[in-house]
Formats: sequence, structure tokens, C-alpha cells
Amino acid sequence: MPQRPKRVAVTSPQTRLAHLRGRARGRWRVPRLDPEDAERAERLYRLQRRQGLLALVAGAAALVGLPLVFAAWPVLDEVRVWSIPLSWLMLAVLPYPTMAALAFWQLYRAERIERR
Amino acid sequence: MTVTLLAVAAVMVVTLLIGLHGVAAMRTTSDFLVASRRVSPLLNSAAVSGEYLSAASFLGVAGLVVRDGIGALWYPVGFTAGYIAMLILVAAPMRRSGALTVPDFAEARLASPGLRRLSAAVVLVIGALYLVPQLRTAGLVLSMVSSLPYWVGVVIAGVVVSATLALGGMRAATYVQAFQFLVKLLLFIVPAVWLVAAVTPEERHTAVHPVEFTHFTEDTTVEFRVDVTLETSEAVTAATPDGGEVVIGPGEVTVEAGQTLVFPEGAPVPEVNGGGTPGGEQWHRPLLNLSDYGHPLLATLAMLTATALGTMGLPHVLMRFHTSPDGRSARRTAAFTVALLGVFYLFPGVYGVLGRVLVPGLYLSGVTDTVVVALPSQVSPGWVGALMTTLLVVGAFAAFLATSVGLLLVISGAISHDLLPGGLRRLRITVLAAAGVLVLLALPSAPLAAGMLVTWGFTVAASTFCPLLVLGIWWPRLTRTGAVSGVLVGLAGTLGAIAMALFGPPLEGWQAILVAQPAPWTVPLAFTTMVVVSLRGQAPPWSRTAMLRLHLDEPPRTSPPNR
Repeated sequence: MPQRPKRVAVTSPQTRLAHLRGRARGRWRVPRLDPEDAERAERLYRLQRRQGLLALVAGAAALVGLPLVFAAWPVLDEVRVWSIPLSWLMLAVLPYPTMAALAFWQLYRAERIERR
Repeated sequence: MTVTLLAVAAVMVVTLLIGLHGVAAMRTTSDFLVASRRVSPLLNSAAVSGEYLSAASFLGVAGLVVRDGIGALWYPVGFTAGYIAMLILVAAPMRRSGALTVPDFAEARLASPGLRRLSAAVVLVIGALYLVPQLRTAGLVLSMVSSLPYWVGVVIAGVVVSATLALGGMRAATYVQAFQFLVKLLLFIVPAVWLVAAVTPEERHTAVHPVEFTHFTEDTTVEFRVDVTLETSEAVTAATPDGGEVVIGPGEVTVEAGQTLVFPEGAPVPEVNGGGTPGGEQWHRPLLNLSDYGHPLLATLAMLTATALGTMGLPHVLMRFHTSPDGRSARRTAAFTVALLGVFYLFPGVYGVLGRVLVPGLYLSGVTDTVVVALPSQVSPGWVGALMTTLLVVGAFAAFLATSVGLLLVISGAISHDLLPGGLRRLRITVLAAAGVLVLLALPSAPLAAGMLVTWGFTVAASTFCPLLVLGIWWPRLTRTGAVSGVLVGLAGTLGAIAMALFGPPLEGWQAILVAQPAPWTVPLAFTTMVVVSLRGQAPPWSRTAMLRLHLDEPPRTSPPNR
């Protein structure tokens, strides 16, 4: 009779860590970094913070700006593209490609910082 | 309608099968580990979107468009923008912390078991605010397609969720959720395209040239699913299905849930619960009209604050990010998610705009969330319409199931892991108990729009977990006391405002908006409390290292280790 492989309980490494931590609740280790890593982390932190702020400001400006545009120019409701009010299209369609573009720009910049 | 119910059952079975098969296909330890490490960002972002697109997105947004107007399309913009905030601020560092949940993160970054328990309690609040509308909407849809009473629908929905979880439907969760995303996307887009093609040119024209709905243009049947107060300036005689007649008005009349009335052609349309009629002056404006409180700009920005900053704190979404192998791919996952959600959210507006023209009577019934599933049979009474209804009900149910199972798991995890530590058996019992409590909460919630309840969940997340995560990741001087006070202040502020909106005296104008949608003041308040209290204390010496560790990238990946 062919021997079947032995059954083993398999958990992801994270689950195993969680189980361990669950048992030894309260045993928390002081975080450490090698001096070399600490230096790199410090540099990454500063660069990412600058890039993140830039992207946040851009995103917030777009998100707050569009309602302001609608409030300031009600005439956008009257202008029609393919007989649909322009303001409807600006709300239902325009934000999504814009947000995707912002997301990929941020992704590219954040990854470039880490490649250096 | 039996066909529809059978189709819903089929989706559940397929979901379960993928879950079980996904586990069976993995034979050895290394198979399992490699799979969990090699989930590509694209697959993972489909899973994130699958878990995220709930009944509120599938049905709720279109319902809000019918009720409140085009401005309700700001909700999906906020829901998507949340992932940009997540991408910029949280995704990679959170993954690098190794924490799966915010309670885990609290312990890893601040070494505070107290904060861990507090965060777990907040998880329960967010989970409840998010799950109740899912159960409610699933119950409504079930009661609509099967003519069962609402409470039976809610109980069935609760049983289905707990059963799916208990039978292990969420094992191999990444594949299940990615599959769910594709299902939802297809089942949402195909009927939308069909609807646009199938309606008459006049209906299409009326859809984009809204006129106020003041008089019934044909005999209109309205099924009241919740108690509704109607107000008319002149008496309206409506017929009941058994041939009787009911005179409504002039003045205020309360119609009880469960009644059906037929309003005759040409009769004036009553106002509902003190609001206006759809298609009115405010309806076509692209700014959020919150319960006719006025100040649409403030209402729009308040809702955007809640949704854009709340997404990063949603427990079931954060959990999904840990299947990314490292911080870099967690970041990629967030970026792809923005693109995938963008495709889905192009379509709720189609249903909303058509719904206003084709089923304006829904507005009178007080519950507009069923507009998506009510549309196809209006357009084509034949088998095509029935088929499209079935597709949409199945999609709505898939949406409800995906989000609810994830949330129920997170809630039960928070109870049995963080609040009352116990074993797996405890987890099973917790699942059932939690589902029972949530069903009880959902029973009286039928009149509350899904979009609004879900937004409250976002508001709690934005006022508690958003400051905790953002300051924890980007500000080394955050202290335990600061974090705890900030979370408490944010939680108390938001819950106080929600209680006020539900049970307090009726308010008007901008005060009413800041009570119904408190994010513009609770979020800054929570941030300020955290910063001020932290600055008055002293962060421990390891604080900076604990923060910097989150920003250190992984060494470039080498080939997988030999077996």
C-alpha cells in the first residue's frame, strides 16, 4: 500500500507569531535597529515624509477643489456634453482616472525613494 | 422569484467550494507558505476591492442618488479616495510593523496592552456600524424578491453569514474575495449597460433633464416597507390592492409598514418625512444634499473627510493587506485598488439617474436602497428583465456576503483574541453570539439608509484609528497616554453626535450637518488631543526606533529558499 504523506498542521508564520505572542502576553521587547539600518531608515523616513506631504496636499486640493468649483460655477449644470450636464460628468467620471493617476504617481515616487 | 433565490444559493455554494478547494489544492507546507508569500499585488487588490464593495456600494449609493440627488455620487469618490490616503500614509509601514490589526499595531508601536483593549473595543463599534446596514439591506432585498417579511430576511441574512463563516467559507480568503470582486463587477456592469440600451429615448432624455416629481404620471403602486409620514397640500385618494380606497391628507398622514397603495395618475405627489420630492431644485446639483439641511458644500466636505480618512481604519480592509509579502507590495496593492474601485464606481450613477425616472414611487416608500434590483422589471417585464433582476440580486448578495463575513470574523477576533482571550472554540461561539446581537440591532434599522450608517462607521474610524495610525507611523513623540486620550475623545465625540442624531431633538442648518456628520470636528479634535497630551508627557527612549523601524524597506528579495 503506498504510504500517504504524513499530515502536518500548517500555519502561516504570522499566525505562529501571533500564537506565541498570545501565550507570552506582556513580554514585549525593546525595538532595536543596527546603526547602519537606523541611518537608512532615518533617511527613508524623511524622504517619504516629504513625498507623502506633497501627494497629500495634491489629493486634498483636488478633493476640496472640485466641490468649490461646483459651488462657484452653477453654470456647469447647464452646459451639456452628449446632452448630459457637464457637472454630472465631472463628478461621476472625472475623479476616478484622476485618483488612479495620483495613486500611481505616488507609488512610483515612493518606490524610487527606496531604490536609492 | 424562486429562480432568484436559487441563484443566490448557488453563489453561496460556489463561494464555499472555492474556499474549500483552495485549501485542498495546497498539499505541503511549502505550497502553503509559497502561496501566502506570492500573492501578487493585482490579485490582492482584487481581493481588497472584493471585501470592500459592500451592499452599501452595490445598492446604497444608487438609492441615495434617487433620494438625495446627484450629489450622493460624492460617496463613492470618498470611498475611493480613502485608498489614496491609505497608500500615502499607512500601507507600507503598517505591513512592515507585522501587525494584522490596529490592536496589534497599538501593542507593537506603543507597547500598551490598555490601548490594545481600547482599540479592540473601537473595532467592535466600527464593525457594528458597518455590519448592521449590510444585514438590513440584505434583509430588504430578500423580503423584496420573496415577499417574506423584513425581519425574516434579516434573520436569514444573519444565519447565512454565520454559517458561511462556520463552514470555513473564508479559508483561502484571497481567492474567494478576488472571485467575489469579478462577480460583483460583471453583475453590476452588464445590467447597467443593458438598462441604458433598453430604455426608450424619451426616458433617457428625462433621465438627464430632471424635472421635479410633483404629479404621478401613471398609476403608481407603492409598497411601504417602513413607517412613513406623508404630507400633502390637497387630499389624494389612493387605492388598496383589495379594491378599497384610502384618503391621504390634506396634512400629515402616517402610513404603516407592510401596506401597499396605488396612487392614481395625475394626483399630486406627497412629501415624505418632511423632505422634498425627487428631481427638485436641489436634486440635480452635484453637491451632497444631506436631509435638506442646506449648506451642500459643508455637507459634501464633511462626508469626504469621514470616508477619505476613515478607510485606513476599517478593520476588515487592514486585515487584507497582510497577505502582501512585504511593505512594497502592500503599497502596490493600495494603488491598484484605487484603479479597480474606480471602474466599479463609474456605474452606481447610471442606476440612480434611471431609477429616479423609472421608479420614482420608491421614494415614497421611504426605502430607496432597493432601486438597483427594482429597475430591470420596470424596463422589461419579460424574461430578460427577470434575468437581469436575478443577476443584480445575486451581485448584491455577493457584496453583502463578502463584506459581512470579513467583518464578522474581525469582530469575533477582537472579542476572543483581544478582549477575552480564549481558544478556537471560543471563537466559534463568539461568531454566533456576535451575529445574533447584530441581527437584533438590524431589526429596527430598516428606515436608516445604508449609505448613512456605513458613513458613521467611517467617521468612527477616521476619528480614532486614523490619528492613531498616522501619528504612530509618522510622529516619534506620540506617547501611550496621548494615544489613549485621543482615541477616547474621538470615540466619545463621534458616538455622542450619532446618539444625538438618532435620539436627540431635530436640528436645522449647519448644526444639524455637524451632528449627523461629525467628522469635520471630531477628526481634528482627536488629532489635537493626541498631540497636546503627548507633548505634555515624555515618549520613551525607544520611541524613535520603534517608529523608524516601520520605514525601513526590506532587502531586495532573493530567490526562494531551497526545499
